[in-house]
Amino acid sequence: MDFIYQGRCWKFGDNLAVDADLTKKEFATQRELRLEVLREYCMVGVDPEFAKKAKPRDIIVAGKRFAQGNPHIQGLLGIRGLELGLVVESIPRGSFRNAINAGLPFITRAHGVTQECETGDELRVNFETGLFENLTRGTRREYQPLDKALLETIAMGGWKPAIAKRIAEMKLQRRVPA
Amino acid sequence: MGQTLTEKILSRVMQRPVSAGETIYPEPDLVTVHDWYVVNFDKALQELGVDRLYDADKVLIATDHEPIALNVLSSERQRNMRKIAQKYGIKRFFDNGRGGHGHVFPMELGYVTPGMFVLAYDTHVTNYGAVGALGIPMITEITDVLACGSVWIRIPETIRVNLTGKLPAGITMRDISQKLTVDQDAELVDYCTVEFGGPALKDISVDQRMTLCNTPLEIGAKSAIVEPDQVVLDWLSPRVSRKIELVKSDRDAHYKQVFQYDLGILEPQVAAPPRPDNVVGISAVAGTQIHQAFIGSCANGSLSDMRDAARILKGRKIDAGVRLIITPATQEIWARAAAEGLIEVFAEAGALLTAPGCGPCAGGRIGAMAPGEVSINTGTRNDPGRLGTTEGQIYLASPLTVAASAVAGRITDPRQFL
Repeated sequence: MDFIYQGRCWKFGDNLAVDADLTKKEFATQRELRLEVLREYCMVGVDPEFAKKAKPRDIIVAGKRFAQGNPHIQGLLGIRGLELGLVVESIPRGSFRNAINAGLPFITRAHGVTQECETGDELRVNFETGLFENLTRGTRREYQPLDKALLETIAMGGWKPAIAKRIAEMKLQRRVPA
Repeated sequence: MGQTLTEKILSRVMQRPVSAGETIYPEPDLVTVHDWYVVNFDKALQELGVDRLYDADKVLIATDHEPIALNVLSSERQRNMRKIAQKYGIKRFFDNGRGGHGHVFPMELGYVTPGMFVLAYDTHVTNYGAVGALGIPMITEITDVLACGSVWIRIPETIRVNLTGKLPAGITMRDISQKLTVDQDAELVDYCTVEFGGPALKDISVDQRMTLCNTPLEIGAKSAIVEPDQVVLDWLSPRVSRKIELVKSDRDAHYKQVFQYDLGILEPQVAAPPRPDNVVGISAVAGTQIHQAFIGSCANGSLSDMRDAARILKGRKIDAGVRLIITPATQEIWARAAAEGLIEVFAEAGALLTAPGCGPCAGGRIGAMAPGEVSINTGTRNDPGRLGTTEGQIYLASPLTVAASAVAGRITDPRQFL
C-alpha cells in the first residue's frame, strides 16, 4: 500500500461526533457496513456536499476528540470509502481501534495541526513516517506515525482481511485445528 | 527506568520488558464473555471458519445481563448459550443462579488474582483492578482473542492517583469516584490506566475498590487498577490456595501524571442526566421527585453496598410513589446479605430483590422505567435508554443516597438519615 497521500486539505474543528457528524446516525443501529453506501454520507452532519467534493487521497485534518461518542465504525468506514487520509490532534480510544479496523490511514496526536493548514491547501502526508507537508505554504511538520503492526493491518484493508490472514496462518502452523 | 503496574503485568505476559506506547499481542490469563454476546461470538467464529477456541480453558461465561429468562425468546437464547458453551468445551460456564455478575464473582472464586491480565467482552472488566489485576475490555474484538489467543493493544500510559485522608460520614467511594471523574480532564485520561495508591488505601476495602475501578471507564480510561496490598491478601487468602504475589509499580516508574486526591469531600455527588460525567454536588439536585430507584450493578452491588442500603432502610418504609429494586451482584453476596439479616430489612422496607447480576442497568430488561419517569440508581451509566425508555431522566449516586431518596420520594442527602 502506498502510504503517501497528496491532495486537498479539508479542515474541521474539535469534538466531531462519530455518529451525528461523520455519518448518518441510523447507520450504526442498522449495522450498515458497505463502503459504497457509507462513503456517500461521509461527514454529512457537518457538510452534506462533502462526499461529492472530496477526491481520493485528499486529507481530512481535524482537532481534538475526532470521532467522539459511542464507538461505532460507520463514520470511519465512510472516510475509508472515499479513500481519504486523516490527521487529527486526538481520537478517543474506541474510535482509534475502529479507524484501524476500518483500514483507514491516519495520524493522531498531531498537536497543533489545525494551525498548519486551511481547507483548500495542497497537502502531502506520509502515514508511514509521519511527515506532514503543506505544499501551498511550503511548510513541513513531523508527527509520530502509527506503529508498524497497526500500519500492516491498515495496509491489508482493516480488521476482516487481517483476522482472516491470521487464522489462515495459524491453521498452517497447526496452532488452531484446520 | 522502572515500570508501572500495567507495564509489569504486560511484560510478564510477553516474557520481555515492554513499555507504554508499544503495540503488542498479549495472551490473557483469562477471557470473560457475558450471556448476551455468546450467540454473537459463535456466529462471528463460524463466519471466520473457526470451530475450536484457541484455549477454551481460559474462557469464562457469565450469565448476568439476563440472569433469569423473562420470555420465551430469552429462554431460547439461554438454551443456545448452553449448547455453544458445550460445543467449544468451555468448562467455566456459569448458568442461571451460578456465580452472578461476571465483573465480580470471578474475584470471589479466586479466578482473578493480583498481577493477572484479563481481556473481556464487556467494558466494566476494569473492576478486577480491585485485586490488582489488569482488565481490558475489547467488545466485539474479543472474537479475535477467542479464535487466535490475542488481539493488538497499545500499552496504555498510567495516571497515578494517590488517595489521602478519610471518608467523611455519609460519603462513600461512589461519591469519590464520581467526583474524580468530573475533576479529571477526559483528554488526559483517554487510553490510560488509572492506578490508585496512597496512604488512604489501607482503609479501603476490596468492595470499595471495585467501585473506584468501575467509573474511570466512563471518561475514556482503558483500565483502572489499585496497587494490591495487605487488604487484598486478607480478602483473597480464604479464596485462593496458591501463593499470591503482590505485583506493584516500581518507585521510579514513569507516569503520565501523578496527583493526590483527598477523600474528605464536602457533599455526596450525583451524576445528573444525560452523562455519567455530568456530576454535581447533591445540593444542586436535591428535592427532584423520583419514581424508580435501584441499588446494584457492577459498580455498587457488593456486600458493603447492601449494608449501606440497609443502614438507611432499617426501620423505614419506601415512599408510596417509588419502587426500589435491589440486586446483589453475586450469589455469595446475596447469601451473606441474608445471613446478616439485610434481606429482611429490604423486604420490610418495601424493596424488591432481583436475581444476582446486572439488575436493571443492563438496558432495563428487568425493572424498566416508563417514559417521563425519573430514576436514581447506582448503575454505571445514565445515557437515555439505559433503563429502557429513552424518555426518562436518570441520576446516578451512592447506595446511601439512592436509599435515602427512595425513602423520601425525592433526591435526598443521606446524611440527614444517619
